[in-house]
Amino acid sequence: MREAFSNALVRLALADSKVLLLTGDHGYSLFDEFRKCCPDQYINAGIAEQNMVGMAAGLARVGFRPFVYGLAAFVPIRTVEQIKLDIAHDDLPVVLLGDGAGFVYSHLGTSHQSTEDIACTRAIPQLQVLSPADRFEMTAAMDYAYGTTGPVYLRMGKADLGDVHTGPLSSVKQGRLLKIRDGRADRPGLIATGSMVRAAVDIATSLDLMVWSAPFLKPLDVDDVRAAAQAANGLVTLEEHSVLGGLGAAVTEITSEHQPTRVLRIGVPDRFSEHCGTHAYLLREHGLDTDSVRERVGAYCQLLASNSIAFV
Amino acid sequence: MILHMEAGTDDRFAPARMRRTVLEMAYAGSTVHIACAFSIIELLTVLYRHHLRYPGNDPRAEGRDYLVLSKGHGVMAQYACMHELGWLGDSHIQSYFKDGTDLKGLSDSRVTGLEVTSGSLGHGFSVGVGIALGLKRKATDQKVYAIVGDGELNEGPIWEGSLVAAHHRLSNLMLIVDKNGFQAMGTTDDVLALGDLLAKFSSFGFETLEVDGHDESAIDEAIRQLWAAGPTKPKALIARTVKGKGVTFMESINLWHYTRLDPQSFTDAVSELGFPGASK
Repeated sequence: MREAFSNALVRLALADSKVLLLTGDHGYSLFDEFRKCCPDQYINAGIAEQNMVGMAAGLARVGFRPFVYGLAAFVPIRTVEQIKLDIAHDDLPVVLLGDGAGFVYSHLGTSHQSTEDIACTRAIPQLQVLSPADRFEMTAAMDYAYGTTGPVYLRMGKADLGDVHTGPLSSVKQGRLLKIRDGRADRPGLIATGSMVRAAVDIATSLDLMVWSAPFLKPLDVDDVRAAAQAANGLVTLEEHSVLGGLGAAVTEITSEHQPTRVLRIGVPDRFSEHCGTHAYLLREHGLDTDSVRERVGAYCQLLASNSIAFV
Repeated sequence: MILHMEAGTDDRFAPARMRRTVLEMAYAGSTVHIACAFSIIELLTVLYRHHLRYPGNDPRAEGRDYLVLSKGHGVMAQYACMHELGWLGDSHIQSYFKDGTDLKGLSDSRVTGLEVTSGSLGHGFSVGVGIALGLKRKATDQKVYAIVGDGELNEGPIWEGSLVAAHHRLSNLMLIVDKNGFQAMGTTDDVLALGDLLAKFSSFGFETLEVDGHDESAIDEAIRQLWAAGPTKPKALIARTVKGKGVTFMESINLWHYTRLDPQSFTDAVSELGFPGASK
C-alpha cells in the first residue's frame, strides 16, 4: 500500500511539474523514489508543521499542487487551524497526507497515535476526507485527490494488511461505498474503512455478511448508505478511529435521518491507549482485534435476530 | 458622515484621509481595533503608492505583488487603501458591519484585494512564505510583503516561517513588523519581551532595517534599500510605530485596541485629522 502511494505520487509529479511534495521531516525511505525522480519537487519543510501547511496554502495560491505529508498525529491534528483557515476556507487544491493513522505507532505512545483525525477533519467545510483500505484504493484515492479542485485529507493507516479488492479499481467516485462482498440479508451488513476493511472481510466470510468499504468519510453518499441499510438487517461500522465523529458517526448521521436502522459502531473507545505494545496488541486493548470484533458482531447478529422491533 | 471619492487626485493615499476612512468605518460599524489600523497607515500608503504592482489596477491580476496582512486586526487600514483604489466603494465604508455585508473585522481572503484570512495570528506570514516560494520557483519578479504585528511575533509559526524563508533564500519576501509596542493586554515588554528584533531577524538570515513607521519618505527609502540589498536573503523591515497614531487621545493608549467611538470622540478624532465639521 505504501508502494502504491509512492508510485502514485511519483507518477503524478512526473506528469505535472506543479505537483510538490512537502514533508515535515518525515518519510525517510518512503520518498526515496520521489527524491530520485523529482528532486526539484521535493521540499523538506523541516520539523515545522504549522508553517508547512500555511506555506502549502501559499504555494497553492500561485498555482502549485502541494501534497503535504506528515504523521496523522501532526498533519492534520497539530495543524487543524492552518487546514481550516489557510486551506479549506479558500477551497485550495492541497492534499494532506496523514500517515500512520490509528495505532500504527503503537510502541511510541499517545503523541504518535491518531484516533481523532477523522472527527476533526470531517467538521471542516470544503475538506474531503478519504481513507483507502488497500493498495488499489490508495492508487484510486491519489488519482481522485489530484483530480479534484479542492482540499483533501487522505488518511493512511496500517498499510500491510493485504488486499481487499481483487485488482485495480478504475476509479473511486466521490462519496461512494465500494461493495466488497455479498452476504445474508437477514444479518447486519458491515461498513468499514481503512485498516478495518480487511478485518471486516475476514469476519464476514465466517458469518456470511455483506461488506462495504468506505474510502470516503466525507462526503459519504446518502443513497449508498441508505441502500446498505435497506439491503441488510442492521449495520455495523468498523474503523481504527474513535467511535466519536468518524465513520460510525457519518453512517448514523445518514441512517438516522434517511433510513433508520440499528447501527453498531465498532471503533476505538473514548480513551487513550494505556500500554505499550505491537499494533495487534493495541487493537486487542481496544477490542478491535479480529477475534473481539467477530465476537461482538456475532452477538449483534443474535440480538438483531431476536429483536422484537423490526426495522426494514 | 462625509465621504469623498477622490481617486486620482494628489491627496490619494494621504494618511489623514486614510485615518478618516478608518474612523468612518469604525464609527459606522461601531467596531474596535482602530489603534491597530492607525499604526500601519503610512506603511500601507507607501506600499500602495510606490511599491505594490497591480497590472490594470486589478487586485486579482496574476502578475501582481502580494500584500499579506498577517496582523488581520489592522484590516480597516487596508480597506481604506482599497477604497482609494476604487476596489471598495463608499457604500462599503458606510455599511461596515451591517448584516449581510462582506467586510469583516479581520482580514478575509474572500474579499477581493485581501490575500489571506488572518486574525488568528501567525497564519498570514506562513502563507506569504509559501507564495514567495512559489513565485520564486516560477522565476517571476513579483514580490511579497507580509505585515505582522509585534505582538504577533509571539506566535511560533512566525519563527518557523523565518527559518524556511532564509533557508530557501526568499529574496522576494519582505517581512514588515509593525512595532507599536503593544499587544492586546499590555506592552510587548510586559507581556512577552521580544528583545532586539533587528538582531533576531539578522541572525535568522534576513537583510534588516529599522525605520520610523510613520515617516513616508523614510519607509519608501528603506524598502528600496532592502530590495537593493541583494538576491539571496529575505528582507525584514522593523517599523517603529505608535499604536493609535494620528489622534492624540488614542496614541499609545491601548484601550483603543478595544474602544468604540461615540459621537463626541468621532467628531474630535476627525477634527484633529483636519476635517472639521464632521459630525454624526
